[in-house]
Amino acid sequence: MSRRWLIVIIVLGLSGCSDDAATPERPDVIHLRAWAHAGQAAERRVIQAQVARFNERTPDVDIKLTLIPERSYNAQVQAAAIAGDLPELLELDGPYLYNYAWQGHLQPLDGLLPGDLSNDLLPSIIAQGRYRGRIYGVGVFDSGLGLYASRRALSRAGARIPGGPADAWTAQEFTALLQALAAHDADGAVLDLKLNYPGEWFTYAFSPILQSAGADLIDRNGYQSADGVLNAPAAVKAMTTLQAWLRGGFVDANVDDGAFVTGRVALSWAGHWEYARYAGALGDDLLLLPLPDFGHGTRTGQGSWVWGMTATGKRAEAAARFLRFLLEPGEVLAMADANGAVPARQAAIANSERYGDGGPLRLFVEQLTEGYAVPRPQTPAYPVITAAFQQAFFDIRDGAEVRAALDRAVAAIDQDIADNKGYR
Amino acid sequence: MTRAAWLFAAPALLGLLLFVALPFVLAFVLAFTNLRLGSPLPLEFVGLEQFHRIFSDPAFLRALLNNAVFALVVVPVQTLLALGLALLLNRRLKGLALFRTLFFMPVVFPLSLVSVVWILIFAPGANGMMNAFLETVTLGAWQPRDFLHDPVLALPAIMLTSVWQGVGFQMVIILAGLQAIPGGLYEAAAIDGASRWRRFWHVTLPQLRNTLIFVVLVTTILAFRLFDQVQIMTQGGPRNATTTAMYEAVQAAFARQQVAKGAAITVVLFLIVLLVTVLQRRLVRQEREIA
Repeated sequence: MSRRWLIVIIVLGLSGCSDDAATPERPDVIHLRAWAHAGQAAERRVIQAQVARFNERTPDVDIKLTLIPERSYNAQVQAAAIAGDLPELLELDGPYLYNYAWQGHLQPLDGLLPGDLSNDLLPSIIAQGRYRGRIYGVGVFDSGLGLYASRRALSRAGARIPGGPADAWTAQEFTALLQALAAHDADGAVLDLKLNYPGEWFTYAFSPILQSAGADLIDRNGYQSADGVLNAPAAVKAMTTLQAWLRGGFVDANVDDGAFVTGRVALSWAGHWEYARYAGALGDDLLLLPLPDFGHGTRTGQGSWVWGMTATGKRAEAAARFLRFLLEPGEVLAMADANGAVPARQAAIANSERYGDGGPLRLFVEQLTEGYAVPRPQTPAYPVITAAFQQAFFDIRDGAEVRAALDRAVAAIDQDIADNKGYR
Repeated sequence: MTRAAWLFAAPALLGLLLFVALPFVLAFVLAFTNLRLGSPLPLEFVGLEQFHRIFSDPAFLRALLNNAVFALVVVPVQTLLALGLALLLNRRLKGLALFRTLFFMPVVFPLSLVSVVWILIFAPGANGMMNAFLETVTLGAWQPRDFLHDPVLALPAIMLTSVWQGVGFQMVIILAGLQAIPGGLYEAAAIDGASRWRRFWHVTLPQLRNTLIFVVLVTTILAFRLFDQVQIMTQGGPRNATTTAMYEAVQAAFARQQVAKGAAITVVLFLIVLLVTVLQRRLVRQEREIA
């Protein structure tokens, strides 16, 4: 608490001082600052190399990259935003984009990305970047969410293996499968839901259950209320099913993050980032399947880090050149290879071993391109929506009455929207 | 005070003003507004609305209760344990430095690290270390529990972690207090024929009085600031069983960007800690006058 307060106060206090006195300006060179999150080592190396390549290739634009630790990224960006000291280019965690756009810090990218580039991007990338009809952010990669499974364990339990997202297990089928698997399991826990992960995971991974049941986190028509949507009978029913899995002892607590790789469980509800580790542990036994269908077809999560910009005028054009550079198929592939995520462009996907035709993670591309992936609500209220849903998830996990837990989340969300005069 | 005295005190006073007084005044003012982090909407004064909201929020009321229970249990337990450890380590033992280091070590570890280690210790299922230990000592009568998700056991689990982590600090302070007691007092008592127990009761304890008052005060304040373990081990759950005022404040201000609500919670927390501290000092002082 006190440290973050300090940052805010220091930034408020020092916002009068500025640090752009250092470099001698050549009039024809445009200097831009770029902030990115410091991801895994491989990711960091790629973005640093990309900036160096761009500066080399584009002598009249000079980009200075600053990497900021992922954990405190949003707090630091928010502090800089309050101080009016945001860089021209910055990476944002996808669902926070709308809040920054609403705060008026971001410039729309419409018209700065050529049509053939926009048409080649995954539809999920466009969907995530859009706020009030304009594009404010563009991702170089997207994420994939599904069920990893052990083929042998499934065949022992006599399970049907779904062939694709249209063929996903129904929720009833999945519950029966859990019971069948548990019958042959030492401790009865056969499913890993990554309960060891921190906050945002729960919204990312389990709001698709609501959408698959025909409910949602909020009424997306105007984003004015969650009432009757997040606490709709369909939502209560879906979350009750999830609660039954959790309370029925089918879910491993996964405190060591090793439930799936050590063979304690046969199923793991996880993202693209686990593929390398899981494939290493299970080899040919590893299967990737869509999440269960709660009635309206399987739904899955999407979204990851996106680039946005605050620059205007001539500097906007220079910043857009950098974004276009990052979105060249070769650069997209370089980044996706480094972090294992889904490349944002079809042209890059075609050349990807994992995501190309017949690749082991092709399912993630199908989910993102064929309408199974749902972006998190594109509203500035998202930070509150996700906090409320996470609280509801924890309460439901701990045995709270589902309807009451969802009602509380609805009240918190609707109160926030009212406090902000509808985020209009 | 002379000018020189002011000059010498200036760095510390400036620090206090800048990092304690100013943030508190800011928090106090913000608590009466509707400030949200980064909101483009105009700042409005909403009077007591934020206070009205937090006091009608069951999570916040539960947080205050949890803080109180935590303090009521941890302060006496941790102080007594620290006293015991200090007495044990205040004698001539082989490898004394090693023991002192071992008991002090958890204090040096970051709380976040300690919390992660204790999550592993409290792992559910029969293979969890704590479950396995309890099963062994109860000769198999213990049924494995998921400590951190058990409405009854979650807060005690956090208390245990906190005591384990914090007791070394109090131990060192009490140890210093013990070593400041003049040896002559014990000699005189021994000559008077006082037993070990009476020497402890009539020499050690009265001599440690100021040290113990300090330790109890600091532990109480730390108990009300409980946050790290909750954030990492339980996120306030299960169903608010371990939430604390500080956790609620951070959740409001930084997860939901409701800075004004967070500020209101910290103001209430500050007043409670102030009240408890003043009360404690009152009680202790009165005793001293009687004695």
